[in-house]
Amino acid sequence: MFDPVIRLYDAFTSWLFQNAVQPALYAAGMMEWADDAFSWMDFFIFGLLQVSVVYAVCRPLEAWRPVERWDDRRVVWTDVAYTLLARLGLLPLMAFVILAGVQAQVAGWIADAGWVAPNLETLIPALETRPLLAFALYILILDFGEYWRHRLQHSIPWWWALHSIHHAQEKMTFWTDDRNHVIDDMIAALWFGGLALLIGVPPGQFPLIVVILRVAESLSHANVRLSFGRVGERLLVSPRFHRLHHGVLSAGEEGRNFAVLFPFWDMLFRTGDFRRDVFPRTGDPEASADLVRGGWWRQQVEGTRRLWRALRGARAA
Amino acid sequence: MRRLALALPLLAAGFLPGAGRADVVFVINSLDPGIQVVDAATRAELRQIPALREPHHLALSPAKDLLLVGDAAGNEILFLDPSTGEVRKRERIANPYNLEFSPNGKLLVVTGLRRDQVDIYEWDAASMGLNLLSRVKPGDMPSHIAYRPDSSTVYVTLQGSRSIAAIDLGTRQVAWTLQVGREPAGIIWHNGRLLVGIMGSDHVAVVDPEARKVERTIRIGRGTHALFPSPGGGPIYVTSRVDSRIAALDPVTLDVMRVYEVPGGPDCISFDGQGRLWTTLRWTRQLALLDPETGEVATSPVGRSPHGIFFRNRDLVQARNEVPAAPATR
Repeated sequence: MFDPVIRLYDAFTSWLFQNAVQPALYAAGMMEWADDAFSWMDFFIFGLLQVSVVYAVCRPLEAWRPVERWDDRRVVWTDVAYTLLARLGLLPLMAFVILAGVQAQVAGWIADAGWVAPNLETLIPALETRPLLAFALYILILDFGEYWRHRLQHSIPWWWALHSIHHAQEKMTFWTDDRNHVIDDMIAALWFGGLALLIGVPPGQFPLIVVILRVAESLSHANVRLSFGRVGERLLVSPRFHRLHHGVLSAGEEGRNFAVLFPFWDMLFRTGDFRRDVFPRTGDPEASADLVRGGWWRQQVEGTRRLWRALRGARAA
Repeated sequence: MRRLALALPLLAAGFLPGAGRADVVFVINSLDPGIQVVDAATRAELRQIPALREPHHLALSPAKDLLLVGDAAGNEILFLDPSTGEVRKRERIANPYNLEFSPNGKLLVVTGLRRDQVDIYEWDAASMGLNLLSRVKPGDMPSHIAYRPDSSTVYVTLQGSRSIAAIDLGTRQVAWTLQVGREPAGIIWHNGRLLVGIMGSDHVAVVDPEARKVERTIRIGRGTHALFPSPGGGPIYVTSRVDSRIAALDPVTLDVMRVYEVPGGPDCISFDGQGRLWTTLRWTRQLALLDPETGEVATSPVGRSPHGIFFRNRDLVQARNEVPAAPATR
């Protein structure tokens, strides 16, 4: 069923690589990276694809049943800028490329010692011939990691100082998913990329996993009055489920509904709120005007100040 | 009946016990990690052998009874039976990117591109055993391998160091290094000279290993990559991945005899009994069959980023059936 799509994609990437990427590498004297560039080209294409898919899915939903309507959408444009900076996969790519070198060393040491390298297929040999099941397990484990990263963002003061940029948005849309401090983004990329390498996610599958999680996260931030129903709400994170997390009474350490893809983690750790008729206002009442209404740069500066104050406060204490 | 229908092509291709009378091609798909076995006559896929992460190159054992495939990112070598495709053993080896047996059949040298290492293993054919003798760190990104015919020295290209390293296999030390050009890739020994594909440029560097100098260059095309001497002392074929061509060199004069345009980034080559070239096209998910007489190129689909390739003819199976099989260990 997907063969024509795969063929089309291959034809495009092949053309792009042979006519643009490889000649550029050759001209730059970087041909030793040609193989890696061919693999990682997927990231950039997937990044563009992500923005297109997310827009195509979420924008009509927001127009159809918005939770809130605004005359002034300037702060939303700030979130659009965040998205375009982050969605091309640059940060996860950097983390993965940096960590790939480290991982090659560590996995090599493990192999030298005669141990089994830490990846799912060697732990569960049956997965070697069941790539779809392995893929699903990788997503499950990475989503578990994201749940705990998100909880820590809310419970560690200096991390919350960074993450509060994300929660300061009072006009939350699907673009808000990428509204993060760059340091927070880097930590997230290292966390996610590090876990992916630890469990041995195949490099070829990594971009697809990023796409799946990113599309789910964007949808969950959408300004749409949408619930997945009694059962669906417990299977996948919905816009309603995540809106409760962004509600004004949920900011900071009192957070709930931390899950990114599977609400199961909130059920397991008793942090879930499944009231299906609640669509609260979003934002952080303690956030400064810079965090709420500032542009990208002002928010970054203010976030850095807050981080510094949090770290100094922790040291003084 | 359905089982029989499925079994017939496999029997014909020699991929079930008791059979083995067809020519097949082993294609290493580096980004759809695995080995694809293709019927040479129909170019239909016969079998997929999964690998863990990112296999690239392969080597046929001295007795021609095993095909060793290095899974660089999976940190293991797969030992395949070339007549059946059966995985007879998997061994944990750090970052096996490229691998070659020495001409005397006693050693296996493995380059670890990402770990900047060259491993020298002693080969025990009876037990399919690899005993690590030494690990050498010759420089940045060791890639392809060539031996001196007397097995005294192994030469490796260092893609990140613009050089080649000569490693003395007696002392297992780097004897010398030589700058040969930007991003050297393939390397072969030919008539007392080393021929090196300069991937960051457009030529083959001809190195005199005694004088330790580049004595001439031969222009091939941008991204000159790897070299493959045809059986029986015929032309040497050189791939170029940027200009996407294969050049045929005269084995005596090293002059370019003919250039074949092969779109898709030709990489590794294996020859069949008719002297035709089976080559992987790295950037197009394709396997190409080039007839050097007519210049005709036929392609067929394989997995993503196909790299190493091995044409196994029926004679190899017959020869292999005449020697006692080594005990299988898993």
